[in-house]
Amino acid sequence: MKKVLLLGASGQIAPNIIPDMESHCDLILADIKPYPDGRPIEHVDMRQYEQVRDAMRGMDAVMNFTVNRPDPILSFHVSTLGALHVMKAAAELGIKKVVHTGPQLVRSYYDQDFEITDVPRAPGTGYYGITKMLSYEICRTYARIYDIQTICFVFNGLGLEPNEPIKGEDFPPFRIFWKDLAHACCLALDIESVPDNYQEFNMVSMTAHQKYTMEKAQRILGYEPAERWENYYKRDM
Amino acid sequence: MNVLITGADSRLGQAIVRELAPGNQLRLWGTGDPPSEQGENITYFEGDMRDPDVAWRAVRSMQAIIHTGEPPPNLPEDDLASEQELLDLATRGTHVLFKAGIDAGIKRFVYGSTLQIFEAYPDDVYISEMWRPMPSTDKFQLTRYLGEMTAREFARDFPVAVTALRLGKLIAEEDALPQDPDLMWVDYRDAARAFRLSLNRDAQSELKWNRRFALHHICADIPNPKYLVGKISGFQLRGFQPQHNFETIWRGGGA
Repeated sequence: MKKVLLLGASGQIAPNIIPDMESHCDLILADIKPYPDGRPIEHVDMRQYEQVRDAMRGMDAVMNFTVNRPDPILSFHVSTLGALHVMKAAAELGIKKVVHTGPQLVRSYYDQDFEITDVPRAPGTGYYGITKMLSYEICRTYARIYDIQTICFVFNGLGLEPNEPIKGEDFPPFRIFWKDLAHACCLALDIESVPDNYQEFNMVSMTAHQKYTMEKAQRILGYEPAERWENYYKRDM
Repeated sequence: MNVLITGADSRLGQAIVRELAPGNQLRLWGTGDPPSEQGENITYFEGDMRDPDVAWRAVRSMQAIIHTGEPPPNLPEDDLASEQELLDLATRGTHVLFKAGIDAGIKRFVYGSTLQIFEAYPDDVYISEMWRPMPSTDKFQLTRYLGEMTAREFARDFPVAVTALRLGKLIAEEDALPQDPDLMWVDYRDAARAFRLSLNRDAQSELKWNRRFALHHICADIPNPKYLVGKISGFQLRGFQPQHNFETIWRGGGA
């Protein structure tokens, strides 16, 4: 079983996918804040290279779910510098698999278009978008030079999968449910390699709009949503 | 024009000051010794660019910002600390500076990036602005590129003209003689001229963001160049023609 360090384990995403991943890999959780249920975790501050590197020692893979969205200083130090620390430590320690995460950088810019898979990013100057865009470039560069297979999952909305019909609402165009994301993470940990050592994947559970597609994740990772979730959003006839 | 020049105490910064001093009001921002050029139209400014209050004072009453992207002279000796500092200056520093410029109503921004992000390509291709950058993990190269990416986003979000100059390896032609020629050489004076010409860009009113942003490769005009300058339609820096082309060295053979 692969030993995987999960950075940002106590954030808004990881605690929702960890239960579905624990039978797949040996997860070592790390964050600067306590885990929601009080489970012990390693304290790792992404701003400190030594802490990141030491936590990564002995791992087969690293998953980076860390982020700071709004702060003018921390966003750069956690999202951008933190990504540099992860990739630098992976290079130093010979770790060949990194799963990186961040926001999609295409919403609103391309909302009038369709079949959107790999289009130029449009992050703008907001702290969240620009600091993560910079982190993607850092990951891409280190992946290319040090042969680190780096899968970058990009999100818009995340949440719990529906379990009953939802009436009077369309589904959001770029949303992934926890169950599907956990599955995608397992696929990312398993895949031998990705083209050019670095690929970004739209993380979506529903694509009936034909707008933001999962085509690339299907083709390269073998990703499929657990169900056709669009069926929960059916109008009565 | 009132122009703020960062990295003014660097050799590139000083060349830009000499190029712009006639006819412009210059505010030189450095972190080391004030440059030798002083005059009634030149003032000197110090402080950490990442401090928004400092950046605001620096940009006030300016009409253009030349952000040379040059590393400061006082980097930490420790390699990791130096890399962290360079990254923070190139990304957060550029963001704070440009944001202050936007708030102050400045419409023209020029950033000094590097052509070295194309070194990974083999020498049997012609590199124009059309090629995808392939930076190395070298701290100077990667951070300079990330600074360019940060600068570019301001043209996307705001009605301002942002120009990125990807500069070749900076050298003075007269200092180059004992060395093997380099395909990427550019003389400081030509680089400075490119900064001056970039200030002429009047693109802030363009409706499309990618017309507000301009990207130019800047290096010497040498025989059989790898790095092409001004060859792609829409990517020419108007009026730019390198004057220092290392002819003596290239005539003697080399790469």
